[in-house]
Amino acid sequence: MKTVERFDTTVSRRTILRASVYAGAGLTLFAPLGFRASARQDSFNIAFIQGVIGDNFYITMDCGARAKAEALGNITIDTQGPERFDQTLQTPILNAVVQSAPSAIMMAPNDRQGMIAPIQAAIDAGVPVLCVDTTIDSDIQLGDVATDNVQGGRLAGRGLADLIGGTGKVFVVNTIPGVSTTDQREQGFREAIESEFPEINYLGQEYDNDDANLAAQITAARLQSDPDLSGIFGTNLFSAQGAAAAVREQGLQGKVKIVGFDAGPTQVQDLRSEVVDILIAQHPGDIGEIAVQLLHDFLTTGEPLDPKDYVTGATIVTRDNIDDPEVARYLYVADCANYTLANAEPMPAASPVATPTA
Amino acid sequence: MTAANEAYDELVTEVLPAHERYLSRISKSFTLLILFAIIIVFALREGSSFFNARNFNDIIIDSSQLVVLSVGMTFVIIAAGIDLSVGSILVLSSVVAAQVTIALSGSPQDIAKFQFPTQSVGIPIGLLAGVATGLLCGMVNGLLITRLQVPAFIVTLGMLGIALGFGQLLSGGTSVPNVPPAIQSEIGLRELVAFDVGGQRVRITPPVVIAYGIAIVAALVLNRTRFGRYSYAIGSNAAAAMRAGINVKLHLVKIYTLSGLLAGVAGAMDLMRFGTASVGSHQADNLAAISATVIGGTSLFGGIGTIGGTVIGAFIPTVLRNGLVIARVQPFWQNVAIGAVLILAVYLDQRRRRAEERM
Repeated sequence: MKTVERFDTTVSRRTILRASVYAGAGLTLFAPLGFRASARQDSFNIAFIQGVIGDNFYITMDCGARAKAEALGNITIDTQGPERFDQTLQTPILNAVVQSAPSAIMMAPNDRQGMIAPIQAAIDAGVPVLCVDTTIDSDIQLGDVATDNVQGGRLAGRGLADLIGGTGKVFVVNTIPGVSTTDQREQGFREAIESEFPEINYLGQEYDNDDANLAAQITAARLQSDPDLSGIFGTNLFSAQGAAAAVREQGLQGKVKIVGFDAGPTQVQDLRSEVVDILIAQHPGDIGEIAVQLLHDFLTTGEPLDPKDYVTGATIVTRDNIDDPEVARYLYVADCANYTLANAEPMPAASPVATPTA
Repeated sequence: MTAANEAYDELVTEVLPAHERYLSRISKSFTLLILFAIIIVFALREGSSFFNARNFNDIIIDSSQLVVLSVGMTFVIIAAGIDLSVGSILVLSSVVAAQVTIALSGSPQDIAKFQFPTQSVGIPIGLLAGVATGLLCGMVNGLLITRLQVPAFIVTLGMLGIALGFGQLLSGGTSVPNVPPAIQSEIGLRELVAFDVGGQRVRITPPVVIAYGIAIVAALVLNRTRFGRYSYAIGSNAAAAMRAGINVKLHLVKIYTLSGLLAGVAGAMDLMRFGTASVGSHQADNLAAISATVIGGTSLFGGIGTIGGTVIGAFIPTVLRNGLVIARVQPFWQNVAIGAVLILAVYLDQRRRRAEERM
């Protein structure tokens, strides 16, 4: 009797195990499909391929796109993206998105050169592509919507000059040479300092290879050579954080002012806790809204974009103005619950290289 | 030496392969069933937007580099080794290939004007230089592992950093600009054969021919040659293989050289597909190649594995990702689904294999 019972138990355990494995398999294959956004019933479907998933900048852009789509009423947005900023990961995603036959694609290409052929293939398959944030070295795309990073750099220069009273020594901690966005930020910073603030001595830039630790080392060395340094512009999150760490370690917090770029939750926390003194916020939500508006106009009228290039601005964020609603709405979000439609208007770039004056 | 070799060859032909071929045939067909199941699920759910010739064509092209890396990884893992450096070697090789191509395609003045008068010389030599770079890195891996007796995990982890670092040094940390566009238009994207299937254009491009050509040759080498049998023997029991007269160290050097060589080939393929050498890419290719190999039925403990299984193993995550994107599944859920299917696939395969062994 006992043996039979034990036998029964064994069988039922095995059955449960087997059942759970198959149930797991079924769930894995089918359950995620339940999370798909509503699609294919409306007039237009826009696929948004982010530069990388899980980044507050692109999340905010997605919120802008979705808010605009909801306002327009006849557009749905589906968002995809690679796990890392890597053309070999983004290309298969682009190919698959093309197979799902969206009305149009807005995307942040992972490589200026490498993504040309995959985007050409999408266009050949009849799907128009609009580049947002980053771009490709080509004119096959419908158009471009991106931050004017030179203007952002100028704002950083003016903000820092204000903070240090228009006099003193400043230098730039940049990321990696050859990255167009951060190089343009340095260019704008340099232009603003050299042309508008003759009393400020610009010491040039150093590269930190996008590594906060290296940024700290560079800044520490610079503080040794120039102990009277007044301000530092870190062109991205790690650059500013590394510079700030070195300044704190030398007990110069408050004496050496630091400007950072972008306004994600981490950067905002750094600003509030006085790690950095100024942030330059890009307007990713505006980029998303304008991109959807442009695609909507293109899809309804069939007219190619004229002009093709559009820029969005940047905002100086300080501890004094961060709670001002006009500034706070440009802080990046972690989810779309707090996003409100900004109704940003498309602003054409003054020239194809997007370097308008303020 | 030769007598011992022949005796051993006879032994493994008699005993080992019969047993292993049987097992591997089972596991290969079973992994294939999982792949078919995934395809059927997406075909039913998504219809023609997933199940069409062009989409499968894209999947085959997109997985070509992973197939090449995974073929090398299969030899390494069958011999009970590991190679973590393949992604970095790929990057370094593509940077070298790009820079040699540019240097030999014209004078600096020509290049600055984006003209490439001697590109017919520069491109083939550049691509070969990339492949040679990979071969060299692999050989260094093999020599360090066998001569210094440092574990393969550590040596190839070190090479991961070294090769990536050199790639960044040579390129200044960014994508290499001014690569002759012909490398992409005339080679990487060239339609060797193109035909219509159900109104969809299917293109056979050089990366596809290279990848599957390599896979077929590798399968023959693994199954039909002494090189293949030695790989199995060393992975099963290195000490026994040594006593049987196999030069284990030399063979391991050859295997890591092969893995590096194939990473170099994948680097050249990267350059011809994308028209640029990007140092920011391929950071997780090593894990992708290892998982493709293991899903394909190769034992991480060595001695068991097939190329056919590996090719299928490379397809499973690629097809899943493709189908999930087409199904508009949120990207974070895609990672969950792909991770779960990997575990499930290997679990079912192992279970099946244990059942076969009991019979």
